[in-house]
Amino acid sequence: MSTLPEKRTIDMQVIGEWVEPNSKVLDLGCGKGELLSYLMQKKHAVTTGVDLNLDHITACVERGVNAYQGDMTSFMTVFPEGHFDRVICSRTLHELHDPAGVILEALRVGKTLTVGFVNHGFWKNRLYSLFKGKKINNIIYPTEWHESRPANPVTIEDFETFCSRKSIKIRRRVHLLGDWRSPCRFLPNLFSGYALYDLEK
Amino acid sequence: MIDEVTVEPKSGKVSHHLSPGDVGLVTPCDFVYTHPFTFKSGQTLPGFTLRYETYGKLNATRDNAILICHALSGDHHCAGWHKADDRKPGWWNNIIGPGKAVDTNQFFVVCANVIGGCQGSTGPTSIDPTTQKAYGIHFPFVTITDVVRSQKLLLDHLGVSALHAVMGGSMGGMTAIQFGIEFPAFVKRVLAMATTSRESAQAIAFNEVGRQAIMQDPAWNHGDYPRDGGPRVGLAIARMMAHITYLSDTSMDRKFGRRRTTTQKQAEAPTLDAPFEVESYLKHQGQSFINRFDANSYLTITRALDNFDLAESYGSLENAMGHVQSECLIVGFASDWLFPPEQNREIALALLKRGKRASYAELATDLGHDSFLLESEELYKIVRSFLSRKNTVNDFTI
Repeated sequence: MSTLPEKRTIDMQVIGEWVEPNSKVLDLGCGKGELLSYLMQKKHAVTTGVDLNLDHITACVERGVNAYQGDMTSFMTVFPEGHFDRVICSRTLHELHDPAGVILEALRVGKTLTVGFVNHGFWKNRLYSLFKGKKINNIIYPTEWHESRPANPVTIEDFETFCSRKSIKIRRRVHLLGDWRSPCRFLPNLFSGYALYDLEK
Repeated sequence: MIDEVTVEPKSGKVSHHLSPGDVGLVTPCDFVYTHPFTFKSGQTLPGFTLRYETYGKLNATRDNAILICHALSGDHHCAGWHKADDRKPGWWNNIIGPGKAVDTNQFFVVCANVIGGCQGSTGPTSIDPTTQKAYGIHFPFVTITDVVRSQKLLLDHLGVSALHAVMGGSMGGMTAIQFGIEFPAFVKRVLAMATTSRESAQAIAFNEVGRQAIMQDPAWNHGDYPRDGGPRVGLAIARMMAHITYLSDTSMDRKFGRRRTTTQKQAEAPTLDAPFEVESYLKHQGQSFINRFDANSYLTITRALDNFDLAESYGSLENAMGHVQSECLIVGFASDWLFPPEQNREIALALLKRGKRASYAELATDLGHDSFLLESEELYKIVRSFLSRKNTVNDFTI
């Protein structure tokens, strides 16, 4: 099984291919700005990140990535429709207070929205819950229940149902197996560990 | 035409303050500009003087300068000591020095007392050559733009070809932003902290109470008072009140609580003059202020603050930010209620909306508006990251 840092590079590979050169990109929950600085160098993207953590903002400033410390929804509210070519929301979806609100607002300020999330419906997660009867605790979900931030685990099934209900167009999707590398072509909600979507309204 | 006047002789004494991270003993200089200077208001001065200090060395390409902009009651002395036995170093000594966040090994740091000030730069206490009396309230109306334009002349005189950065907190933050708007190609980075793009009604209100305290003091005498006199009571009250706005409920409570300076005996009847520690602290602040600050200068500079409104000056805040070419970092402080985080965010958002290079960071310190002056490793780290980032290609092997 690949390690977590290796898994993280998948966002760079997949999203890096989706991002058009010289496009304006907003990353919601940008962390230390690794993805954005990658996109700046590889795609000459004009990037902005939003994050709540001061250390993350400092890391972004050090990398020369525009970063805004604050709430992502109130940040987006300020911008006109279609201001960004692409909004990215990678591995933050399940921690949002109002995922639907964020997704819809991101689709307003962004011409496209790229979402990446851990598929909670992955078979190992199901077996873990079934046999252990406990909150999942592994490399992807590293914390115990009492030390975890509030989370809404999401599955591929949940997400696609949401998109069709909100009439969100899925332009592209990538489902990866548990190694987060090999494509998953069969029963993705069961066999896919990580999913990436490229959306538009 | 332009000459430099050394105000104090260089002291050869070795100071006990000379620790490796400090700039050590420093000597202020005077920049004398002998051409007419026209203020934004249209009023002119036949020339002016700016008192300033520099630390570090200007490099061969003359582009490693950092201009430090001071706040309302600050001055040009932002680092080091004037004399070996000085009680306190310059006001931003904690952040400026060899190896510090504003690294004087790397940068040529310049800081000047603002025009209209009273610490050696031309201001209301200066003599008007036409009347041979102090300008007093007849000193030209000063704006932040005038502060910027006069300091640009100083930088030209020093041979600075580009500013690596201009930075400051509070009024210094306004000055830094105005510098970025006024001289976009000259300024590479703007770092503004605990600031605002427009003085709010609350901030104007506080300034007005201070001004009224000064002007209602009979000794103010419509701005006409001797150099060693003036509205000492009014100026002290203005300072006491303003000082409260620089702190926070939490920080004041932690520092003073309800402690009294004199212990009252239980049996004694309470009197009106049993002072709490916070009262004597404020009185001390007021008293030390009147010994170093001029009342007319206080009126002049608070008016400059009140009239600072980028949206008004440029049509909208976004229009104002449209001029900026620098990379910007705006830092707000959660407990700052004079220029609250929202007002700092607004600046960063306007820059980002205009597609500028800008970041916003917020520190959770509970020390109020003055947080930007305090010792904080988090603040040092982000300032250092912003000022000293190497433009190298990142390594993506995580």
